[in-house]
Amino acid sequence: MRIHRGRIAQHKHDELLRAYLKQNLHELIQQKELVVNGKVKTQLSTLDLPTLRYGDEEAYLAQGAGGAGRGGGGGDEGVQPVGGVLGGDHHGPEVRVELDFDEFVRLAQEVLLDELELPALQRLPRGGEVDTEEFPELDDLDRMGLAADLNLEETLVTSLLRNVRERGVLDFDVDLRQDGWYFVEDPSASRNHRSLEVYVLDISGSMRGDYLALVRKTIFLLWYALERRYPTNLRRYVVFQDVAEEKTREEFFCVESSGGTHISAGFEKAVEMLEGVSEYDTYLFLFTDGETSSGDFELAKRKYEETLDRFDLVCYGHVNPGSRGVGGFSEYVQEVARKRPNATFANLVDLDSVREALRQFLARVDGGSKARCGSTRRSSRGWRS
Amino acid sequence: MREYEAVIARVEELARGLGLRWDPVVFRMSEAEEIAEVASMGLPNRFVHWYWGGAYKEIRLQQDKSLLSILELVLNSRPAYAFLRRSNTYLQNVLVIAHVYGHADFFANNHWFRKSNKNMLNEAERHARTFREYEARYGRETVEQLLDACLTVASTVNAFERDPGRRRRRLVYFLEDHAPLEPYEREMLQAIREEGEYFDLIQRTHISNEGWATFVEATLLRELLSAREWAEVCVHLCARPTPYTLGYALFGAIRRRSGFAGALEARRYYEDVRLIDETLTQELVDRLDLFVYDPRDRSRNTQVEAVKEMLIEQKLYRGEPRVEVEDPDHPRDLVLVHVEEGRKLDPRRIALYLKAVHRLWRHPVRLRANGKLYTYDRRGLSTA
Repeated sequence: MRIHRGRIAQHKHDELLRAYLKQNLHELIQQKELVVNGKVKTQLSTLDLPTLRYGDEEAYLAQGAGGAGRGGGGGDEGVQPVGGVLGGDHHGPEVRVELDFDEFVRLAQEVLLDELELPALQRLPRGGEVDTEEFPELDDLDRMGLAADLNLEETLVTSLLRNVRERGVLDFDVDLRQDGWYFVEDPSASRNHRSLEVYVLDISGSMRGDYLALVRKTIFLLWYALERRYPTNLRRYVVFQDVAEEKTREEFFCVESSGGTHISAGFEKAVEMLEGVSEYDTYLFLFTDGETSSGDFELAKRKYEETLDRFDLVCYGHVNPGSRGVGGFSEYVQEVARKRPNATFANLVDLDSVREALRQFLARVDGGSKARCGSTRRSSRGWRS
Repeated sequence: MREYEAVIARVEELARGLGLRWDPVVFRMSEAEEIAEVASMGLPNRFVHWYWGGAYKEIRLQQDKSLLSILELVLNSRPAYAFLRRSNTYLQNVLVIAHVYGHADFFANNHWFRKSNKNMLNEAERHARTFREYEARYGRETVEQLLDACLTVASTVNAFERDPGRRRRRLVYFLEDHAPLEPYEREMLQAIREEGEYFDLIQRTHISNEGWATFVEATLLRELLSAREWAEVCVHLCARPTPYTLGYALFGAIRRRSGFAGALEARRYYEDVRLIDETLTQELVDRLDLFVYDPRDRSRNTQVEAVKEMLIEQKLYRGEPRVEVEDPDHPRDLVLVHVEEGRKLDPRRIALYLKAVHRLWRHPVRLRANGKLYTYDRRGLSTA
């Protein structure tokens, strides 16, 4: 058997990476521009061998890129550094000291789980689907939509038997009219495996440093928990100050804080995100310091009520790294959340409060699912209080 | 491999006709993962280190995204082992085979390569075994820390340097001779230095070696392929990285000047510095669109002298700062001097670098750079 030295080396590399990340997560996660071109920048000098390098920007050998012309014209355009001149074993400067964002999230989740002493969760197989390599993938036939009560396993077996019988071939050629085998129970009792998650972030002036770190850590942990529950998820990102805008994931993690706070705009935009999405469990996560601009209070109340009517669960994170009292709009939400079953309020002060918020949230999700769905098979001890 | 036997025989016949000579070549069909492994480690059985892990990960990622495809790998060993990628198309592998014979000829005939260690494949395996034994005996962490330090100073090797006086100015040789190391530590430093020299030779001949292999490949394929296939191949050849196209252009220029025999002669005696110095012309610099770019004022210098100087400097000093060992007054002294006083070293790396040197030297280590004297001792870094 071949020894996979490359994989062993990568494992060692990743161990060091994890140790580095663990030490520096708090600083890294606060970077205003967390993701650039899908990568998270780190000061990973330790992951390179610490050979000496020049400090200043130096002239380098380059080549014109793609016939972009050359000569007197200034600018970096059309300048392609000539790399690999040394070849062989020399990968020093070419080793990236940047992390893929997904990898960063994965490592950050590991670190956070460790820090919060939360156990790892198992990924769920997709309910109602047959998860084996011997069967063909039939992603369009899951327990959603028109044939939500279709029992795939039985249907496939029936189809197989029919094909053997009729055509003498061992083949799955599903004909729903003949092979369709349905669950007897009500399809609305089956687990929903799709979620729409809308993340709404207040980017008014106060959003920076510890504030950003808390929000991002919470989001990474939410992703962790939700990914293990919903194999199919849609995520939409909204930022707001005076106005709200939808952003891509990358933009959402590269915010420039400015302007005033109109929480109502955030809620309003979040509701827009529901457009065209049915058959999903819908979650709204809004992070703010709660200091809404004067004049917006009443409107924000109304919009909040509206989101409560439209979303399955509305989680309001009052980001409060300074651990001050809860006032303003947040105070109002805190009150409402005590009464409404699909509202949660979290006072995000530190990592412990993040754990508490997650427990609260998951309890609601489980509770909510029980109301809407069947049984939950997931073990989430430690994630619950 | 059976489907390639006929084409290999034909390539060999054509290559012999051109006057190429080589040691036996063993082709091996391999998966992309194995190629990524060898490419990141440099040799297939080398000791495992986290540093290769980063490169391995990067290559695998790029392979997955089909951004970069390392089509072939060939080792300077006797016999020369060449890796073909199973997922290559037939035509791609024919290209690789022709390219490999260019390398094999270079390995067997180039003055510098003839003197190189053709047994490094087995030596690296032996080193890896020894390191594993040491891990068991002295602890994994101790050995890994030592490896980090050895690899850090190993960048000061020079495979071409034979003069003992100049060699001892290079840190790795100085430490090997004078550092107060345990026998096993010295053996490890020596092993890393030997491997370092093996790779240093490859780096110092990268442009000539790849250039020659591409040049041979193109010459053989023009004979071997149909016009349609040749057209397809030309696209591949043009998309190669700069060292390949630059080397190819340089050997092309030599052939235009003094025929194929002249090119054969050049591949025997040239390494990169001489090849560039004697062959690179303004016309080639213009044609390849090469220039020295200064990001500070966004200026481009397209003069052949500037391009030549930059390339040669990279070749001589591997793009790294020139730090030499000063003659010591006292046996416990180790003073390093950055010889280009005008240029600044990255201060963030200095402490880590000196820590690695201190791990081997044990006594205080001094570095004169950036107009300061840095000292690293048991208490850490201090500056005067």
